[in-house]
Amino acid sequence: MCSTDPQKGIAPAADSAMQQIHFLYSDHHDWLYSWLRHRLGNAADAADLAHDAFLRLIIKPAPHGFASFGEARAYLRTMAQGMCINLWHRREIEQAWLDTLAAWPETYAPSPERQAMVLEALHEIGTMLLDLPPKAARAFLMAAGCQMTDKEVAEVLGVSSRIVRKYVAQAMLRCMQLQARQTVVDSLDPDMT
Amino acid sequence: MSTTTPPPDSTSDSTRTEPSHQAMEQAAEWYALLRSGEATDDDHARWQSWLEHNADHHLAWQYVETISRSFEPIHATPDPRQTADGLWAANTRVIQRRRILTGIIALAGTGLFGWATWRHTPLPGIVLAQIADHRTATGELREVILSDGTHVWFNTATALNEAYRTNLRRLCLITGEILIDTATDPQRPFIVDTPQGQLRALGTRFTVRLEGDKTFLGVYQGSVEITSAAGASSLIQAGQQTHFTTDILAAVEPADMAREAWSRGVLVAWDMSLGDVVKELRRYRNGYLGIAPEVANLRVFGSFPLRDTDNTLNMLASALPIHIQRTLPWWVSIEARTGTDSDR
Repeated sequence: MCSTDPQKGIAPAADSAMQQIHFLYSDHHDWLYSWLRHRLGNAADAADLAHDAFLRLIIKPAPHGFASFGEARAYLRTMAQGMCINLWHRREIEQAWLDTLAAWPETYAPSPERQAMVLEALHEIGTMLLDLPPKAARAFLMAAGCQMTDKEVAEVLGVSSRIVRKYVAQAMLRCMQLQARQTVVDSLDPDMT
Repeated sequence: MSTTTPPPDSTSDSTRTEPSHQAMEQAAEWYALLRSGEATDDDHARWQSWLEHNADHHLAWQYVETISRSFEPIHATPDPRQTADGLWAANTRVIQRRRILTGIIALAGTGLFGWATWRHTPLPGIVLAQIADHRTATGELREVILSDGTHVWFNTATALNEAYRTNLRRLCLITGEILIDTATDPQRPFIVDTPQGQLRALGTRFTVRLEGDKTFLGVYQGSVEITSAAGASSLIQAGQQTHFTTDILAAVEPADMAREAWSRGVLVAWDMSLGDVVKELRRYRNGYLGIAPEVANLRVFGSFPLRDTDNTLNMLASALPIHIQRTLPWWVSIEARTGTDSDR
């Protein structure tokens, strides 16, 4: 339906952006691929992520371009780190969910669709919690996810109820700030279904 | 029992779309108290009156509800505690690997970026925009000349596909805003598709902008024929503007000629409210840009650079009794200037 063919030399501005991607690709792709393969220990995942990294650069070019070879490489390395972590995170969450599921009686058998939904929700929650101070994150997860009281959470964490209350408020505020920021971003990019 | 929640403030504004920082802080504290298992009837009553105090509080509380609802899938499993512990163990392992990978306790790498990116991926519009032929990032303005000589100016955060054929010139606007100056080609009609319908240009200069479920059209030269997805059609002449959804065409009004200035990177404000100026500037910036309701109705006159909105904010601050509070690089709020300017 739509093409990202770099040969489509119609628009000069878009064209030069594509050309930049071309150069970036030939300068850094092989390095990025072996960097990823080394970390992930898997050629197929490495190839996928390397591809995704360049796709992201096409979609959202670095704000001011790259002044040097080294700068481009540093940018790609940071991006690749983020992508590795995201991939690991998804897989860890999936494995944890499958383990949990296996421990429950067979009478609880959610449909594949439902399971996919739960997994996405867990990943979303997990990602949100990754950025909170660990203790606040754990307290928040128990409070919001398991509807545990301050006293119950305090017992698990070995802190006072007062501290739990503080953790929960702190975590909630951080999530609200992310949400507010997201609302701004969403309103710039209306969902065109 | 007791809470440290400060007394309600006096701000109130129904047009505001993001809660103030103060309201969010208070809402988070109310949440922590109400679910603690220790809230009294009195606490509930005080929360109720806090909630009803103004729209800002209401909005902040909606955020609390959205976030706490996102945890529901955990609670719906047979043993929420087990599910949560599994998730926590997964997170802990990832945090360890992240430390090894980055060599630092990284907040930046996946941080806000990871969250924002994930939230975005399931949106079809965004996915389409990512693979579009032409696109601009937030804050970017660009001019492109198509193969037939047609000029297209791309406003901030815009994505467009180009489908020129031997007998038809067709563009699909996926998101954002374009200004088009068509080249003459009697053999090939020129059309722009939007999610709400089709625009057929009859030798013209016109702007098309997607706003939520609406397409906005302003015609500066020639005329443009609208056909909505439901089949309603209308001819818009030079000097007129309108907007339409998939089935309703709004009334035609005189075109706001100053709007066209964005194509030169300029926002022209002629008796615009500061609230409207801020709404416009948000389109060019990432992050949060808030405005206190008491300054939203200040009138603004002047021309401002769209490519450097930080500079625009400084210009506004020098002309109006406002103070630009830069809490974080992406967290900026506009407040009334006070005598001793040192509040939050």
